[in-house]
Amino acid sequence: MNRTVIILTIVECPRQVKIEVLEKNDTNLRLVIKEADVPFMNALRRIALAEVPSMAIDEVVMIENSSILQDEIIAHRLGLTPLKTDLNSYNLPEECECKSEFGCPLCRVTLTLDAEAKEGIRTVYSGELVSENPDIVPVSDKVPIIKLAKGQKLKLEAYARLGKGKDHAKWQPVSMCAYKYYPQIEVSTEDCGDCGAKCVNICPKKVLTVKENKVEVRELLACNLCMDCVEACPKEPKPIKVGWEKNAFIMNIESTGVLPPERVLQEATKILDKQLAEFEEQLKEETEK
Amino acid sequence: MIIPVRCFTCGKLIGDRWEEFARRVRTGENASDILDSLGIKRYCCRRMLLSNVEIIDEVLRFYEEAEKRKESRSFY
Repeated sequence: MNRTVIILTIVECPRQVKIEVLEKNDTNLRLVIKEADVPFMNALRRIALAEVPSMAIDEVVMIENSSILQDEIIAHRLGLTPLKTDLNSYNLPEECECKSEFGCPLCRVTLTLDAEAKEGIRTVYSGELVSENPDIVPVSDKVPIIKLAKGQKLKLEAYARLGKGKDHAKWQPVSMCAYKYYPQIEVSTEDCGDCGAKCVNICPKKVLTVKENKVEVRELLACNLCMDCVEACPKEPKPIKVGWEKNAFIMNIESTGVLPPERVLQEATKILDKQLAEFEEQLKEETEK
Repeated sequence: MIIPVRCFTCGKLIGDRWEEFARRVRTGENASDILDSLGIKRYCCRRMLLSNVEIIDEVLRFYEEAEKRKESRSFY
């Protein structure tokens, strides 16, 4: 018997990515991205987390520390304090022209701290760090660095430099960078029985609501595709269908304040571009040998 | 010991919110409402503030007592 096998290849033509801003403020950015795929979104996410440079204190010279915390703990706390970053005027130390171990004014910022408790217990805040560049200062002035008792002193010099999240978490410019599929919920009102709105009550994100005895989608974008509503439905076949749109995502970026979230994404795309260009060059070189 | 600068899990800056949180808890406000109004959404960041004990305050008292004793010893 002859069988004809037909292979259907669906060629997806690359389409223009569509971006819609849902929410935007100094630290948060929520986007709907359509006509993109998972590998692309994941590349952007991973680069935003691990490769976009930001400024953080990397080395601390303790001049005097009579506080009750050890030098290392104070240095660690200083390192984790996010600093406002200026990517245009500073270089990564490994890419800087100075090639110096100690850095130069183009790849290093010096901050100093001189605090003493003259009377009673006092808290030393990140705002007391004096930076040589007024643009590179802690994101928040109110981060407690240490508490000093009367007579205790803390004097130090700290060197901040650009770094990447993959080397240390203190250089991570985002505290959250995540994407999820764009949800699609369908409720066929004709088949929906009178079960007392089980699907509405079980939803942890309160996506569904009852309007005039009908189940309706209230907040589609809050859905995290947990499928609890489908499982809770007693009817068979299920009148409620939860799925996701192909090639559409909701991306959520929360910056630590070092860079605006949209800048983090812009930098991520630039880095991806650079990595691909380097890859192409290398490939050409190796194959043409 | 002292409030951590960032959330252990996600890296969000939370150190700067501690003093307001502690002050408002002391006035009897509901901790959950305070965290919401401070904009701390995820439970990893919320536990940082909820479960923090400022032991540094206790440790500093030992230091102050020791200083007082030193003073009284040199007095005689």
